[in-house]
Amino acid sequence: MPAFGLILLFILPALLVLGFMVLDGFSLSGWEALFAHPQFPKALALSLFTGSVATLAALTASLLIAGALFQSGDLRRLAKPLGAMLALPHLAFAVGFSILIMPSGLIARVMATLFGWASPPAFSTVHDPLGLALIVALAAKETCFLLFVLAQAFSREDRRLNLLGQTSAAQAMGHSSLSITLRLLLPQIWRELRWPLVIVFVYAASVVDMAAVLGPNQPPTLAGLAWSDINSARVENNLRGGAAALMLALVLGMAAGLISTALQALTPAFKRYATHGPSHTNFPTWLALLKWRGIAGLFAASGLVLLIVSFAQLWTFPDIIPQVMNTTAWEQIGARPDALVTSLMLGLSCAAVGLVVLVAWLETVAAKYDQVVLVLSMAFLGLPALLTGLGEYRLLLQMGYVATWQGLFIAHLLPTVAYMFILLAGPYRSFDPRWRAASDGLMAGRATFLWKIKWPLLRAPLASAAAVGFAVAFAQYVPAQLVAAGRFDTLTIEAVTLSSGGNRPLLAAFAFLLMLPPLLAFWLAEKLGRQTWGAA
Amino acid sequence: MSLQLDQLSLALDGVAFIRAFSLAVEAGEIVTLMGPSGSGKSSILQAIAGGLAAPFSATGRVLVDGVEVTHMTPAKRHIGRLFQDDLLFPHLTVAENMLFGMARGARATRLEKVQKALSEIELSGFEDRPPATLSGGQRQRVSLMRSLLAAPHCMLLDEPFSKLDENLRAAMRALTFKELLASKTPALLVTHDKADAPPQGRIYEIQNGEVIHVR
Repeated sequence: MPAFGLILLFILPALLVLGFMVLDGFSLSGWEALFAHPQFPKALALSLFTGSVATLAALTASLLIAGALFQSGDLRRLAKPLGAMLALPHLAFAVGFSILIMPSGLIARVMATLFGWASPPAFSTVHDPLGLALIVALAAKETCFLLFVLAQAFSREDRRLNLLGQTSAAQAMGHSSLSITLRLLLPQIWRELRWPLVIVFVYAASVVDMAAVLGPNQPPTLAGLAWSDINSARVENNLRGGAAALMLALVLGMAAGLISTALQALTPAFKRYATHGPSHTNFPTWLALLKWRGIAGLFAASGLVLLIVSFAQLWTFPDIIPQVMNTTAWEQIGARPDALVTSLMLGLSCAAVGLVVLVAWLETVAAKYDQVVLVLSMAFLGLPALLTGLGEYRLLLQMGYVATWQGLFIAHLLPTVAYMFILLAGPYRSFDPRWRAASDGLMAGRATFLWKIKWPLLRAPLASAAAVGFAVAFAQYVPAQLVAAGRFDTLTIEAVTLSSGGNRPLLAAFAFLLMLPPLLAFWLAEKLGRQTWGAA
Repeated sequence: MSLQLDQLSLALDGVAFIRAFSLAVEAGEIVTLMGPSGSGKSSILQAIAGGLAAPFSATGRVLVDGVEVTHMTPAKRHIGRLFQDDLLFPHLTVAENMLFGMARGARATRLEKVQKALSEIELSGFEDRPPATLSGGQRQRVSLMRSLLAAPHCMLLDEPFSKLDENLRAAMRALTFKELLASKTPALLVTHDKADAPPQGRIYEIQNGEVIHVR
């Protein structure tokens, strides 16, 4: 019976969403209109280009950093800052990054001070036609995600000691640190990296909110094109948008499949490379640390610039500090806090409900049924948010829940539960059963065991899952925009809307607000989950 | 206090590996069950404690103090357990670990019992220490007293000395037997080492699925 919560709130709606999301895509007129759209081929090419280059850049950076820092023993030190950087919503980072790199942004002002420029550079650094700004921002954000995955893969205790031993042996044979990363470490963790890479690729090629802030406009990426059609008031445009979203998913699926097949075919070549003999080409620890600090610095600078700009009333180029600062933007938000309140309520309620239904499921349902939840969760993570968001919208429209609080809650809960399940199921299921036997031997009932032993011992993964759940729900844009239907405002909706307007202080204030609660949730989870027992 | 097994048989995927084992352990008695690795010693203990899970299955009856507990949940059987590992809860202090299984009552009285128990095992003053700060031998002593303070009607000892070094092992053995006899708790000790068995007391051995009385 307790498992019913997850079935009702996740499994059933997720199955329906997957069914509904292809409905629009079956419209023949939608496909015809899509193929006739003059921007379609370029938009598709842009999506594939931005997605693949950002993924490749993130993979290269994360591998070089993780490989070198694992060998020097510094990788574990990255856990805390990585967690904070992961908690930062993509959209908030994109807004901060855009203000940092725009022609009149902080970087240009520093350059102007150094080189004596009198006016901002004349070329576009944001919304550039090749999507380079989008690629850099995506690469930086996704490097953190892949670094996190690699750090997890390397830090499994049994494997860590084994790999460290192999590393010493390879060093003794004359291999450089880079050679060890590519020839020894990468082949052993490659399997664990494949799914995260697919997720990164699909996300990077189909992102909507970051593309709206940083991506090209004429033409936009295919996700951007589909998004504007889906939000159009004309039904024929909506159908074309649905077809474009489905097209994007199909092309990305095929691309991921093709890349996977190509990599399989290249396996013998990789093996030859691995046994080619020692190489002295190196990527030293100091360079890895420098690269890591560069990315971390970019995140910190993006946050800082948001805070400064939110107070900047007058800030002429090339001054480094605003001439006039005031709190107008913050007063505006204070006078109308609806967006913040709605986002906070969605984040808190989704994380709380998600945690309760997941724990009830994990506590009462046999592990073999986890596969169902896992497949649905992976679908939510691996499919473009545009498509799942559209499915959610269609389902909630059928149920009469669009533009209602319940609809908004369900639309946010589905991706939240997907992320929380993937984080929580492993640690919860692998909880050592001997603790239960010890508790039984002391005649303690199930409730006592859960409250006093199991949940306190599992508080780190429980707190992490809750924090991630909060951050995921808090940062949703596509389902929020579609299901809110103008009746509700969230911080993400406000930030994207403002990104195309001229009120930069208000945009920065909203983006800064979007950044703070997930960071706070991460900090709280870290504090709550900290192991307080151990040797004195 | 007593523990009784009536025609206990165990099977794995339907194939029997322990056949019709009957036994009665009376108050103050420690019976030893021996057998090679994989012969089913620990599975017998699991079946008695109620923790046997698929693909294992059991038939027969388990009685504690003459009351059949076969279909009761493990926590309601009043069967205490001591394992190879001490399994002290790492997030609770030594005193909290010992209080965990004790019957409810006035806190002062319960704490007094904890202090008395700690002084018996020469660990007075360790109440507020986290288990991680104790040595292996100290942890095993706390684990023993934690089990006894829960006032079990019988005890199952699953190779509790096997991970201790030779000196500690002899001391822990002596302490365990002394405490079990003092509390008159019937106990079934599983071991693969004959030296762990109490000098007086019955010994059973598992041979090809049959449990044979050898001493």
